[in-house]
Amino acid sequence: MLPVLLVRKAVTFRNTLLGLRGWKLAKNLMFSGAGLMMLAALYAGFWRLLNYLEGVELIGPILSWKLTSMVLLMTFAMVVVSSIIISMTTLYYSFDLKFLFSTPLDLRAIFIDKAFETVFYSSWTLVLALLPYIAALGRIKGLDWGFYLAYAGLMVPFVMLAGAFGILFSMIVMYAFPSSRTRDITWLLGSLSVGFVYVVFRFSRPEKLLRPDSLEVVAQYIHYLQSPTAPYMPSWWVTKAMEAYSAARWEAFAANAGVLVLAAAVIYIFIYFLSGRLYMRGFSGAQGSPRFKGSRRELPEQRLAARLPSLRPALTLYWKDRLALGRDARYWSQLILIGALIAVYLFSIRQLPLDTPDIRSLVSFLNVGVAGFVMAAIGLRFTFPAISLEGNSYWLIKSAPITAAGVMREKLLVSLLPSLAIGLVLITVSNRLLGADFFIAALSTFTILVAALVITVMGIGFGAAFPDFNVENIHQLESSYGGFLYMATAMGYLSLLVAVEAWPVQMHFAERFGRAHPWDLRAVALSAALFLGLNAAALYIPWKAGLRNLERHEI
Amino acid sequence: MIEIKNLTKSFGAFKAVDSLSLSVAPGEIFGFLGPNGAGKTTTVKILSGIMRPSSGSVSVAGFDVAANPLEAKRAMAYIPDEPFVYPKLTGWEFMRFIGDIYAVPAAEQRRRIPELLETFELTASSGELLEGYSHGMKQKLLIASVLLRKPRAVLFDEPTVGLDPKSIRRFKALLADIAKGGAAVFMCTHILDMAEKLCHTVGIIYRGRLVTKGTVEEVKKLTAAPGVRSLEDVFLELTE
Repeated sequence: MLPVLLVRKAVTFRNTLLGLRGWKLAKNLMFSGAGLMMLAALYAGFWRLLNYLEGVELIGPILSWKLTSMVLLMTFAMVVVSSIIISMTTLYYSFDLKFLFSTPLDLRAIFIDKAFETVFYSSWTLVLALLPYIAALGRIKGLDWGFYLAYAGLMVPFVMLAGAFGILFSMIVMYAFPSSRTRDITWLLGSLSVGFVYVVFRFSRPEKLLRPDSLEVVAQYIHYLQSPTAPYMPSWWVTKAMEAYSAARWEAFAANAGVLVLAAAVIYIFIYFLSGRLYMRGFSGAQGSPRFKGSRRELPEQRLAARLPSLRPALTLYWKDRLALGRDARYWSQLILIGALIAVYLFSIRQLPLDTPDIRSLVSFLNVGVAGFVMAAIGLRFTFPAISLEGNSYWLIKSAPITAAGVMREKLLVSLLPSLAIGLVLITVSNRLLGADFFIAALSTFTILVAALVITVMGIGFGAAFPDFNVENIHQLESSYGGFLYMATAMGYLSLLVAVEAWPVQMHFAERFGRAHPWDLRAVALSAALFLGLNAAALYIPWKAGLRNLERHEI
Repeated sequence: MIEIKNLTKSFGAFKAVDSLSLSVAPGEIFGFLGPNGAGKTTTVKILSGIMRPSSGSVSVAGFDVAANPLEAKRAMAYIPDEPFVYPKLTGWEFMRFIGDIYAVPAAEQRRRIPELLETFELTASSGELLEGYSHGMKQKLLIASVLLRKPRAVLFDEPTVGLDPKSIRRFKALLADIAKGGAAVFMCTHILDMAEKLCHTVGIIYRGRLVTKGTVEEVKKLTAAPGVRSLEDVFLELTE
């Protein structure tokens, strides 16, 4: 039975590939090209890092394997958490499950099919991101193709083991509490765990590995080297197997690889038999809806609309979005991750080893670009998908007496205030931590407010230019062609913004360094004109393109 | 009230609707019949303003849908074949949403929504999220939301799919009431028996072209085959 299910996946994949023609094919090739470039950049970075570590006298090789074990441990933890979040959907809410359950397929075969799907979706991006690291490691250690083949072979049981934890967790929790509310709670806990792992990893200051001299005593350093790895974890078995392969110690390689494969086999046999007992109860419970008792009270927006009838359409869409987002657990889990991202960002700013006040002020200025990037990344999760998240219900708005511009303005209204607040927090706290001078603090605060507006408008504009009302989850939107273009455009805009302001900032530093007549007013005027032109274009073009497309969009 | 002139909709080389012209008068219930893929849903989507015509024009209540979309949309109500609604709103909130979007005064909404929910037996579930509603419940909610306002033209695309027999009977009565109130009703349906009993006029579309249009009796006379009695027989003969 299981081969039949797996064949349907292969056929779907083949049909998708064969369906790539014309613009669709070009789009995918562009995407793949950009992805390869990113992987190449990662490879270059990892190569430099590993080359440095390997060159450290005496302990160089130990350091690079230690780092590998840390990287694999992090990957393992991320796959575990991802599989907890993803398995809730794949095992209990996939669109094809009702059909599969109506067929004479064995329950356990359906479960294992969905378990494989879970492992794939929760690990493929991490496995891909790991590739340049492994390639760099192999090159630094001077290993042959056999090493990469061995690594590929080790990765299969490794990610299967990591995914098994999430699958088991979901199955047991859904068996104990068979309700769709369990899914929401698991999503929230999963996001909290991801945020926690991310924050703890950053707060553990892994950069210390690169600067052994920064630690006070040798014992402390050795203790640090030993701290993050765990000998009973699959990440350690993979590390030891790879290390053994590189030293041609075949017995040790076989022992560690064997433990890994055996553990994966045992856990999946266990899951297979357990699913026969537990899966049905959880699936059945998941089909129900949690009890919810909404009130009939008048909302503040409705009271305001009674006083301002011209704002009624926008206010109506606003309260609809406010209620819908507030009740969506996926939205809250995203907010938790953003909280973690901001905490790590500010911690990293605090840790920057900057000595003089001038350097600190200069970094405060350059920080506008980095803070803008963080805002664009947040925009990719919230602002860009805002229109597409109307989903299948978009026909209600399309057939209602509301203009496309009205819809876009309302979405902007929902996203703009949080964007401005996040930008302001990032910049004011960073400026305070860095001790920026008044000029830089004022300029960066003003700039981030303008950038917040532009990035939000851009997000809505690109979201309207590339809407997809059929997506099942927000991640599909983030990784779409439109999402990629939005991020690329936002990054281009931020680079130009910093470049345009660099001139007056340079004059400001010239004044601080005591140069006579540092200010050239013509240059300041030109910089201001370029600033205005850049922002006007960044506001107008994406908005207009989005509006034009949304007006013409057919469902 | 509903006017379609030389309407054509193409998807690449394929013509989903081809030079379609027809009109539906106030108070008339028009049944739009045709096999799967004949162009019914495309036509009704263009009428509702969610799809654009390749050529030709459509107007509702005197407003050209392409030139004056907001005025046309204010005058009409549309219910698609799939009742997609906002899953995270309750039934009550959805009714308020539609009322607010179509500018029904708040006092009137507070008075009429409970009546409509009661009519469609949705009072008990009106505080629950729509993600928990069945297909039929969502369909009933959408029909109730149409009745909340007073549209001058109503577009239905397979309106009885998912409804239980009791609700279908109630729907038929409501449809007759809507037409008596002076609204033009444009209904795509596969249920020929319902069309025969309920519609004043019917049109049959086949491969994008209007094959025939007239009263049910007129359409029945179109076939020369002996012994033909029902609309179903005519439909099958014309679309074979």
